Amino acid sequence: MSDIKIKSKNLNVYYGDKQALFDVNLDLNEKEVTALIGPSGCGKSTFIRCINRMNDVIDICKVTGNIEIDGIEINDSNLDVVSLRERVGMVFQKPNPFPKSIYDNISYGPKIHGKGETKNELDEIVEKSLKKAALWEEVKDRLNEPGTGLSGGQQQRLCIARAISVNPEVILMDEPCSALDPIATAKIEELIDELKKTYTIVIVTHSMAQAVRVSQKTGFFHLGKIIEVGKTEKIFKNPDNKMTQDYITGRFG
Amino acid sequence: MNFVLIFLITIFSLSLFFYGRSKTKSISVENNIKLNALPKFYGYYLVLWCSIPALVFLLVWSLFEPVIIKTIIIETAANQGAIFNDTNEANLIYEKIKAIHLGTYFGDIDSILKESAISYAKFINLFTNSKIVLIFGIIIASVIYSLKKIKNNNKAREDVETILKGLLFVSSLIAILTTLGIIFSLLFESIKFFSVINIFDYLFGTSWSPQKAFVRDASAITADEYEELKDAFGFIPLIAGTSFIAFIAMLVAVPIGLFSGIYMAEYASMKVRRVSKPIIEILAGIPTVVYGFFAALTVGPFFRQLGESFGLTVSSESALAAGLIMGIMIIPYVSSLSDDVINSVPQSLRDGSYAVGATKSETIKQVVIPAALPGIIGSVLLAVSRAIGETMIVVMAAGLAANLTINPLDSTTTITTQIVMILVGDQEFDSPKTQSAFALGLTLFIATLILNFIAQRAVKKYREKYD
Ligand SMILES: Nc1ncnc2c1ncn2[C@@H]1O[C@H](COP(=O)(O)OP(=O)(O)O)[C@@H](O)[C@H]1O
Ligand SMILES: [Mg+2]
Repeated sequence: MSDIKIKSKNLNVYYGDKQALFDVNLDLNEKEVTALIGPSGCGKSTFIRCINRMNDVIDICKVTGNIEIDGIEINDSNLDVVSLRERVGMVFQKPNPFPKSIYDNISYGPKIHGKGETKNELDEIVEKSLKKAALWEEVKDRLNEPGTGLSGGQQQRLCIARAISVNPEVILMDEPCSALDPIATAKIEELIDELKKTYTIVIVTHSMAQAVRVSQKTGFFHLGKIIEVGKTEKIFKNPDNKMTQDYITGRFG
Repeated sequence: MNFVLIFLITIFSLSLFFYGRSKTKSISVENNIKLNALPKFYGYYLVLWCSIPALVFLLVWSLFEPVIIKTIIIETAANQGAIFNDTNEANLIYEKIKAIHLGTYFGDIDSILKESAISYAKFINLFTNSKIVLIFGIIIASVIYSLKKIKNNNKAREDVETILKGLLFVSSLIAILTTLGIIFSLLFESIKFFSVINIFDYLFGTSWSPQKAFVRDASAITADEYEELKDAFGFIPLIAGTSFIAFIAMLVAVPIGLFSGIYMAEYASMKVRRVSKPIIEILAGIPTVVYGFFAALTVGPFFRQLGESFGLTVSSESALAAGLIMGIMIIPYVSSLSDDVINSVPQSLRDGSYAVGATKSETIKQVVIPAALPGIIGSVLLAVSRAIGETMIVVMAAGLAANLTINPLDSTTTITTQIVMILVGDQEFDSPKTQSAFALGLTLFIATLILNFIAQRAVKKYREKYD
């Protein structure tokens, strides 16, 4: 068994009067890929957005309960979200590169956190991040071109490189392949496999096949509650819960 | 007379609507046939057929009637022995005849004038009577025609649609033709001006004082006279004054407008937005003349007193006061345009920035503003073009003297102010002084056109990027 990196205890989330998550208890292991599956609107995005406190951005959103990373409570109003987000990166459903050059897209994060004092150090970070995101070979000759000019799959890998650039411990991915074609998807999955050696990864996905291919652990959400969580193999071969069974065999969702 | 006619035509054709509707209904019931269109379309059909030909006729008639009558009257007056040497004198006699007819002429009336006035009255009567007869003829003819069509159950819906399309087309045509007409009249008058004053002397001349431009005979200007004329029509002080005031206005409007736009878009809660946006937009609704007297009566004197207490001489009409007030006037444009532009930057970009740990202000400064920049530049350029076209404030607050100055405490003048100055009071229409107003208008028009063009391109390009 790997060590537990992230631990949520009795997590409840409300959007105004509407409760989106109900007492979610979920442990995520270090340097492993955890897949979150479940029908649309069941709270998967809401859950992973708690891990880097992205829900703070939404005025009406209120989070109660605990989330610990390495045993330290992060759902605490005194916590510095800037350094939390430095440790927990995020990749979104739709690639969202900044309308800046490829280079500036990557150097943005390190500059914010005061890393890479000299041009050389920055160059190094950019190169390393792009290499880790398996994009370096494709873009090394056009670092000054706009990131928005890349193909969808390249843009998504650029966003992964952007997340990696600040050297996080955790990477959250919210349906990172849903806007991509199968070839680009395969590339990203391959990349995730590689990245899990360094990072703890949480991926929300709509594709069962993708969950099976990339993850070691799977959590099944339904109507804001965690229904079943366990080793991916087990969840997909013989789940304990009838509802999980129905969902993975496509009977609802 | 014409109003009565228009009124009658309207009433009559509207009443035909009900007739046409019920008529076709009964036709379809009696003969048990399915109509080609809803009964109301037959009503519209009658209305349009009855009113449009008559109204168009009336319009054309009214355009030509005065011209024709005038020609006839002048001719008869000449036949009776009236003497005139050129069109001006002919016009004068015609005006006299008209005045006699209306009973508003108090000079001596000789026999020629008297006779002419009588025949004028005759012609007016004749024309009016034939106009009424013809209009009734047209209405009757078109009603008979359209009633026959209706009886045959024609495709009234298509016909009505076609006529409406035609009406809409004519409206846009009128708008376009008016624009073209204005541009061409600007152009022709300016060409007349530039045939007297060399265009380069105008564009690069450094002294502007059109009141000094006396020309005895515009067709024969001596070299000496031209030297003087040239100095009356130098454009540089005006463009300098205009840009200078616009620059001061932008110094005020860009930071305040932009920052308030950013606040509205990024920080203000829904509640604050709901209250403050309309208030800011009220600023845009204040008539510029109000800003103008505010500038002239309050701000200008305030600056002068303030200057005096520092031992500075500030003229009570200063570029600073005019620019400041103009800037305030423009704030809402910059603010609400940049608010819109910033709002349309996708949330996903902000999320991307927050996710690497950027704070709100870092995100705004480094992601949102750069992404919105083309749109923001566009909105600033639109504001500039408003500033240089603005008249009332500068007329009231900037002064009239065409000083070539960069001292904001001096009075200075702008293109629009000078146009106003040239055109108030008595005019000789073909003097270079009057024509110079058209040249200024043309120059201003071209300048704002270019600015608007660039601005709209920038905003459009920006829109495309995120749609
Ligand atoms: N910004 C928001 N404001 C209000 N309700 C929201 C917001 N985001 C999500 N929700 C609600 O929370 C629930 C969970 O949404 P989400 O976490 O996006 O689901 P998933 O990612 O599993 O599709 C849904 O019912 C959704 O309508
Ligand atoms: Mg989601």
